[in-house]
Amino acid sequence: MSFLIYALLNTVFIILISPLFVSLIKKVKAFSQGRQGPPLLQTYYSLSKLLKKETVYSTNTSMIMRVTPYINIVCILVASLCVPAVYIPGMAAGFGNIILFLYLLVFAKFFMALAGLDASSTFGGMGSSREMTVSAVIEPVIIIVFTALGLLLKTTNLYEMFRTSLQSSLFINPSTLLISLSLFIILIVETARIPVDNPETHLELTMIHEAMILEYSGPNLALMEMSHAVKQTVLMAVLINILIPWGLTTAPNILTVSISIIAFAVKGVILAVAVGFFESMFAKSRLFRLPNLFMLAFFFSFSTILFELLK
Amino acid sequence: MMNLPILDDITKILFVLILATAVLIITVRTLSSLFNVYSLQSWFIAAVAFVLYLKNGSVVLLSLAILTVASKAFLVPFVMRRIQKSMHIKRDLEFRYLTPIGSILVGTAMIFLVYWSFSKFIPTLSTEELFFPGAVIGVSLALMGMMVIFTRKRMITKILGYLTMENGVLLFSLFIAELPFIIELLIVIDLVMLIVLATVLAFGIDSSIDEFHTKLNSFTLWFKE
Repeated sequence: MSFLIYALLNTVFIILISPLFVSLIKKVKAFSQGRQGPPLLQTYYSLSKLLKKETVYSTNTSMIMRVTPYINIVCILVASLCVPAVYIPGMAAGFGNIILFLYLLVFAKFFMALAGLDASSTFGGMGSSREMTVSAVIEPVIIIVFTALGLLLKTTNLYEMFRTSLQSSLFINPSTLLISLSLFIILIVETARIPVDNPETHLELTMIHEAMILEYSGPNLALMEMSHAVKQTVLMAVLINILIPWGLTTAPNILTVSISIIAFAVKGVILAVAVGFFESMFAKSRLFRLPNLFMLAFFFSFSTILFELLK
Repeated sequence: MMNLPILDDITKILFVLILATAVLIITVRTLSSLFNVYSLQSWFIAAVAFVLYLKNGSVVLLSLAILTVASKAFLVPFVMRRIQKSMHIKRDLEFRYLTPIGSILVGTAMIFLVYWSFSKFIPTLSTEELFFPGAVIGVSLALMGMMVIFTRKRMITKILGYLTMENGVLLFSLFIAELPFIIELLIVIDLVMLIVLATVLAFGIDSSIDEFHTKLNSFTLWFKE
């Protein structure tokens, strides 16, 4: 029962706050380019507008196109349960397992790539092909990063990890710093941000993520956008809870939960601003140069393992 | 003379940061950010020396920290920036033998190799807790600097490789009791560096090593009758 309350609270909170982070990053980017940018609530407006519109399917599509938005949002929302933003719940069977978390994210991505192919438009196919290429390279890196995280915090359960990181500090585990760099790179890659993909454009030369959802319209597009936003918040939450878990509570009551919600929102805003600045600092890099970035994440996680050995 | 556990923790954090700068020196392509990374690395190493001074109270360490900041965090990057301005190249995009990706892989393997080989005999050498990580990271940093020397084609990044190597030796030496010998070694490396710097300045720094060789060869005519 208590887990059900947690699930409800966490999901509602993450759904509510995710669009804010998306618009905030856009706002920061606009500011750094000297523009005013969209209002902070723009993503909420666009989502509600999309939900009211009708859905159009191409005649070439199969049921994959129809089920993918639902599979996507469900997978990501279930994955979001593994990353507590309101309070750390007690153990619940299977939840918080690192492998489950990663595979839920990959499952959603797999269906998105299938849907990209499904409409048999060249853009979608190209996007899927690129997404799968990038995933094939980043996936081993992600596994290594989370292995290092598991080695560092001595558990494979995300709840346990956050509990440990809440008690320890940067001084006890200095390699947290290294693993956070890796997690930041993963956040950038998985949310299709600038050195990897440009979320702003619809140019066939550059787009990866946008190409796959090009065929979607109406509520389905809203679901896809929403799942992308939630995925970003979830990955941000992993980074936040590992590097700066202050404020997160393990003993839930109204006061502590509201403190951790406010703390998470503040930390999330700071991280979103950092992501926005990071995106403004770099140019989109060539597809074949991407492994460079992934290799950095790989190196940092390997050094984390080394630091564990040196202890 | 303080013996606070927090000093050890700070040193460990600095180790982490030094490792991060080491990998950036391998991969970064823009020259000006390369100099910034090097300057940052020197700051971190000076900070390690300062923390060790706080811990041991040895004046040599303090002077080493001051010397490092003065020379490597300010003077060397300043001179390098001057050189870069005069030679009109902003980026070093040419690699030889290894691409940056390969370099990082080899670097990772190298760190593990150093760790493995040191773990055999270090416990018999010193009982101090920080000696082992300091030695491993120092030697790996020196090896990574060496890798920069042979993977980069531009002369100016090669010099940066030498400097990184020297930083690695310095870091290693900070954790060894017998400083004077190591300082001598440092001076020798510095001398080599100085010679390379001077030669390169004289014979066109903007060239790659092959062009440099032909340029140098033209001077042999002077000695022919």
